[in-house]
Amino acid sequence: MQRWKQYAGLAGLAVGCLATGWWGFRATGGALPWAKRSAKALQRGVQQGSGSLIDLGRGIVIAGPIRKGGLLAEFVGVVVLLMIVAIGLYVYADRYRSTTEVDRTAS
Amino acid sequence: MAHIHLGEGSFPLWAVALWTTAGIALIGTVVYRIRTGGIKTHQIALAGIGAAASFAIFQLNVPVWGGIHMNLTGLVGIIAGPLLGTLIALVVNIFSAALGHGAVGLLGANVLVNASEAIVAYYAFRWLLHMDWDIFPGSAAAATVGLSTGAVLMGVIIVVSGVNGSALPRGDLTIAVAGLVGLNLGVAIIEGLLTGFVVQFLASVRPDLIGYAADATAEEPAGVTA
Repeated sequence: MQRWKQYAGLAGLAVGCLATGWWGFRATGGALPWAKRSAKALQRGVQQGSGSLIDLGRGIVIAGPIRKGGLLAEFVGVVVLLMIVAIGLYVYADRYRSTTEVDRTAS
Repeated sequence: MAHIHLGEGSFPLWAVALWTTAGIALIGTVVYRIRTGGIKTHQIALAGIGAAASFAIFQLNVPVWGGIHMNLTGLVGIIAGPLLGTLIALVVNIFSAALGHGAVGLLGANVLVNASEAIVAYYAFRWLLHMDWDIFPGSAAAATVGLSTGAVLMGVIIVVSGVNGSALPRGDLTIAVAGLVGLNLGVAIIEGLLTGFVVQFLASVRPDLIGYAADATAEEPAGVTA
């Protein structure tokens, strides 16, 4: 398929999604964090709101239930555990592939 | 991205039973297919890496669109496949619920939502490659479509179930949920574009990881079963 058609399709998808997102942003209260937005919208219905789409001043924070529940150590522990498992699997997959390639070459 | 953040007891008991049963059926089907079909070696490592990355980014609240978190489930589906993508969605949701991010009673519903993102992203990506799309637009569009599917499914699950303690009539609840779904679509395109960049990079350095090279299809299953 011609490249301009691919990017035109992606651009159309982007415009549609961003327009729908902008409507959803305004219709569900404006600049609210997701948990507050969700609770407010499901309890009281749609209520118009506004505010900045991007609020860099707040920074990237860990999800409220973890931060407020004092579970930061557990969160970091799970991430480290998953990373160790992932590295272990990578090493296993790499060695297994090397072994099978050697076996195939030998045979 | 799409994730039901309601607390325990938000759904009526019949809805919890319904979505849990559907989630168990999906996981059972996936495990059966993995046991009968095996897994390619490179997918094992990608599944571990995908689970770690998805779980970590799941818990980070980004100050865009008011405050949202990403899932990376579209990326996970594209690189690890629909079967392992579903299992990764289960693992990520279990760990998240254990830390209070998402209710334990809604595990079935949330697994359905996130697994649908991975499954649709994978098949959409394969279909777009079949239609001769390039890697970047194909993976970005596929991930966006997958994530949008998950957002719509999330809305359907909430509207069908109803929310305990909400006085909203079903019609008003549907409009409110549609607003939440709409916001998720705005996030989907951003996460979709990020996915496109990552897949494009992977395709340039290790095309076999995403099944883009001819030799990737010739790899023997590792014989590892779930």
